[in-house]
Amino acid sequence: MLHFRTEGYNGCAVKYSPFFDNRLAVAGSANFGLVGNGRMYILELTPNGIVPVKWFTTQDSLYDLAWSEIHENQVLTASGDGSIKLFDCNLNDFPVQNWKEHNREVFSVHWNLVAKDRFCSSSWDGTVRVWTPDRPHSLVTLPTHSCTYSASFSPHSPDILSCVTSDSYVRLFDLRTPASASNHLTLQIPIHAAPVSPIPGKPGVPPAACPPSEALTHDWNKYRPSILATAGVDRTIRTFDIRAPQQGPQTVMVGHDYAIRKISWSPHLSNVLLSGSYDMTCRAWNDQSPPGVVGDVDSMRAGPSPTMGVEMGRMSRHTEFVTGVDWCMFGSEGWCASVGWDESLYVWDVRAVMG
Amino acid sequence: MSSPQQRLSSIANQLTSPGAVSAKSKLLAKNPDDVVITLALRTPLTKARKGGLKDTTLDELLISLLTDVRERSKLDPNLVEDVCVGNVLAPGQAYIARSAVLAAGFPVTAAASVANRFCSSGLLAIQNIANQIIAGSIDVGIAVGAESMSTNPDNGAPELSDKITSHPIASQNKQPMGQTSENVASQFGITREMHDQFAAKSYQKAEHAQKAGWFNDEIVPVHTKVKDPKTGEVKNVVVDRDDGIRYGTTAESLGKIRSAFPQWKPSATTGGNASQITDGAAALVLMKRSRAQELGQPILAKFGGATIAGLEPRIMGIGPSIAIPKLLSKVGLTKDDIDIFEINEAFASMGTYCVQKLGLDESKVNPRGGAIAFGHPLGCTGARQVVTALSELRRQNKKVAVTSMCVGTGMGMAGIFISEA
Repeated sequence: MLHFRTEGYNGCAVKYSPFFDNRLAVAGSANFGLVGNGRMYILELTPNGIVPVKWFTTQDSLYDLAWSEIHENQVLTASGDGSIKLFDCNLNDFPVQNWKEHNREVFSVHWNLVAKDRFCSSSWDGTVRVWTPDRPHSLVTLPTHSCTYSASFSPHSPDILSCVTSDSYVRLFDLRTPASASNHLTLQIPIHAAPVSPIPGKPGVPPAACPPSEALTHDWNKYRPSILATAGVDRTIRTFDIRAPQQGPQTVMVGHDYAIRKISWSPHLSNVLLSGSYDMTCRAWNDQSPPGVVGDVDSMRAGPSPTMGVEMGRMSRHTEFVTGVDWCMFGSEGWCASVGWDESLYVWDVRAVMG
Repeated sequence: MSSPQQRLSSIANQLTSPGAVSAKSKLLAKNPDDVVITLALRTPLTKARKGGLKDTTLDELLISLLTDVRERSKLDPNLVEDVCVGNVLAPGQAYIARSAVLAAGFPVTAAASVANRFCSSGLLAIQNIANQIIAGSIDVGIAVGAESMSTNPDNGAPELSDKITSHPIASQNKQPMGQTSENVASQFGITREMHDQFAAKSYQKAEHAQKAGWFNDEIVPVHTKVKDPKTGEVKNVVVDRDDGIRYGTTAESLGKIRSAFPQWKPSATTGGNASQITDGAAALVLMKRSRAQELGQPILAKFGGATIAGLEPRIMGIGPSIAIPKLLSKVGLTKDDIDIFEINEAFASMGTYCVQKLGLDESKVNPRGGAIAFGHPLGCTGARQVVTALSELRRQNKKVAVTSMCVGTGMGMAGIFISEA
């Protein structure tokens, strides 16, 4: 397990470079992101451990980052002052672009993996915005009317993006739909609602004792285009099939003791995901779906949902809230990185913590 | 932009908002406005028309128990505002309740009422007192369940109007309880062997509990009079133990008993695998936690809530299999979070069915035996089960108990209690 200390800055997000197998970036904030500067580190894995290549210090806290998918040296940051900045690792100190449209803290940025000239951002101001790096203004604004902690393009489609909000909904937008009063909103899944009974007229399963609570993170499955996972304040990870939203969660993963701050599906395995939580642990989960599935699964052939996911292992080295996790796409499956409020970045192998 | 305070409170909300805390830790949490139990007692349960309490009327039973409550609680009787008596059979219940409260040494300011929902009356009395405390109507109350089946025999349903007897479901309430037990056995395939095994286990657990002295923790003796049926001589006696527990009972020995209801198939219910007809009473003192702390009262347990469910009267026995999941879904727990299930054994048929249906760990169900072994004084049982469950939680050093019972005319009630002793 490799370790790097982001001294003076509490980690908020970590991402592996999509271009280099030894490069990653960490976004951190002084004073736990409450007040003070932010700093984005570009780090390299070397035979001598983790070495900082460069860092950029910003006026306000940094809450998230995203590597550019078209330029190997460029990284986006989401800032507490409502700005989104694009930094170039070959340059010093200042961003190459600065977008300032959000009215409150930007909590997430995510680069489109298919249409690589686009990225999106989400903010406390209750909007998701879609941008292109070479334009000074956003292309589209998608209102959610609720603090939006996480927004993400589907890895399978250039035009579909999703977000989760503090009002406990997953929202899906399809940018191909005509501009209208619905603002491209095509689907809204209540995360905490009971599933609707498949038999018309019969009452559904009685609602479980989980009042709606803030959703803090979500991620699209990399192999099954209709599956995404959400997690947040209620300590529970749920997977949803966007083709059957009324069925409720497909899989429920319970075990974290405090809010879950970040989840990420494995880039190698269709049924494995990693979570980081305020309970100071990172946990690897199996959603109990058949391994090796690529593409859509026939949900009519699945058993009664939801199934309970299984915790495969946990990493407990962090001594404060874990705020970011990311898988390494390169090399053997299992390598990942995690950051937390303990000013620590760990690079570790999930297989080493599996029981 | 947001101020540091706003940023901080948004993160604090992520840690403290509803849902951020697990349902179990919420239930185990100690809040000043919790309803807590500071005393839980019961009389011995003795066989109707044969046991030590056979000549003790309901009012005498109540006076004896309430006097013990007044003395053992070390609580100023002036603080007791209401006493709710769960009772099913006694005519003039309301007269008896209030009069017994006064005769037991409580001042005129202590009110009384009765609660009657058949076998759940004792639990209903607890819920009534707890709800009054939650609503702020009273500060301190006593919940009682009491039944003298010797002096108030159960004569079944009264004459009912044609509108009821011709109603397809309401008319089922004419069916005697024994018939509903056979209905459960036939509809859900509970065999005679399963009945007897369930009943034998109840006897064996109760025998073990009695020999190990576990019941001493629950019971207060009753000083009363017994009339010898042959000579007519009246003797003063102290009744201090349950008398229904037949030692050495096995499924084989129960298998020899003949069917109690040959007229209703499958006729699997016998005198050996159904609850006994019994006299007895149980009482609990309830108040807000803040009040208990103020008064220096010992806190035995917290009242976690109760619920009721309805079902077809003809299979009323399976009520707990509906009421328990309903209660658990309300408080957000699973059956694995529960340490003890105290389920009334009205009949072995319903007991077997409920344990199977809910998939309960048998070692958690009625660890001291149940109504088959030591009796089911109808109005008493709901309160008695809570007294037993709390004592057993204390013995095992466990936390959470669910109590439940089937209710005649087709209902099931369940309550949850958290031990703090």
